[in-house]
Amino acid sequence: MKFPHLKNFFYHLFIPKEENNFRSKLLHLDFLSYYLLTALFLTFLFKTTPLLNILGYATDISIQKLYELTNQERQKYKLPPLKYNEKLSLAAYQKALDMFNKNYWAHFGPNGETPWQFILNSGYQYEYAGENLAKNFLFSQNVVSAWMNSPTHRDNILKKEYTDIGFAVVNGNLNGEPTTLVVQIFGKPQNNTVVINPPKTKAVIADERNNAKIKNPELNKPEILARNEKQKKPPISSFFFNFNLVFIVLLTITLILDFYFADKIGVLNLRLTGKNLAHLIFLVFMIIGVLIISKGVIL
Amino acid sequence: MIKFLKKELEKYFFDYLLLFTAGIFFILSLNLFRGERFLEFIVLLSFISFYIVWGIYHHLINDKFHLKIVLEYIMIGFIFLFLLKIIIFP
Repeated sequence: MKFPHLKNFFYHLFIPKEENNFRSKLLHLDFLSYYLLTALFLTFLFKTTPLLNILGYATDISIQKLYELTNQERQKYKLPPLKYNEKLSLAAYQKALDMFNKNYWAHFGPNGETPWQFILNSGYQYEYAGENLAKNFLFSQNVVSAWMNSPTHRDNILKKEYTDIGFAVVNGNLNGEPTTLVVQIFGKPQNNTVVINPPKTKAVIADERNNAKIKNPELNKPEILARNEKQKKPPISSFFFNFNLVFIVLLTITLILDFYFADKIGVLNLRLTGKNLAHLIFLVFMIIGVLIISKGVIL
Repeated sequence: MIKFLKKELEKYFFDYLLLFTAGIFFILSLNLFRGERFLEFIVLLSFISFYIVWGIYHHLINDKFHLKIVLEYIMIGFIFLFLLKIIIFP
């Protein structure tokens, strides 16, 4: 069974020939205008639709996924899995709120707040404690991979003394920018049979760059939008990330086909169009750029 | 196709070297300002602006300058500006 119309249609879209003025139809200015309008539409839809604005603000990072991935890493080293602890999660949440409220990105606050202060305030009496931070990642997998690639964060994840773990993924405005913060707190509760007063505590923080950016907290009005575990959000960031990649790949294929067939029929130098090679170089850098942007920073 | 590419790169070596160097700077800057959304956007905007200017410059010296070509570079540049903006400022 043959579909000549379908075949012609695809030829018209991808292959340069007389009917499409020797340029793949998908690269014509009218089609480029459609892509531009689609991109503009998506941008405004994302900004103006309240549903997308609230839910889409967050990245595709979930506490469940972070918890699973962290324990998977521990299992690789035959370490016992960590138990999810609500108090540590509360401490992580309070730490994230504190960073937004006081506008800093560090293990220690501008007024000397320590990570273990939040742990103790949550009612968790610890013998060992540790903290990992991450900012502006799109995916849970990237967060855990970044931590595992950093010796100090990795040591925290693989520390055999820890028994409990808590997480918070909080969205807000930090230094005037929409930011997603991930706080991971580890702990081992004090053994109740041994009462030491004051308790001997050990707190470990993965502190590779203690570069707190402190601005006047009075000027900054923090806006906490959501606490991750309460959200049932569609994977909006994931959708746009994949949409971008699919679009770039489609455009790349079209440019290569157009380039190849135009060269074959000898019209490459006769057409009045942009340079496919330059567009391809640009697209390669855009792909690398998308991959870099999807990865945030850890502390 | 390979023959054409070789010829093109030999003929416009400086132009493509310039574009490639700008691309490398774009990647390095994005990596440097990773996590800083505003700066990431500035870096993206700078590279896209450079790409459009590069397109105009390249076709001007090539004697193949036409509004259609300028529009092609502007549209491709702006499509990616808007698409990546959604990822940078979700």
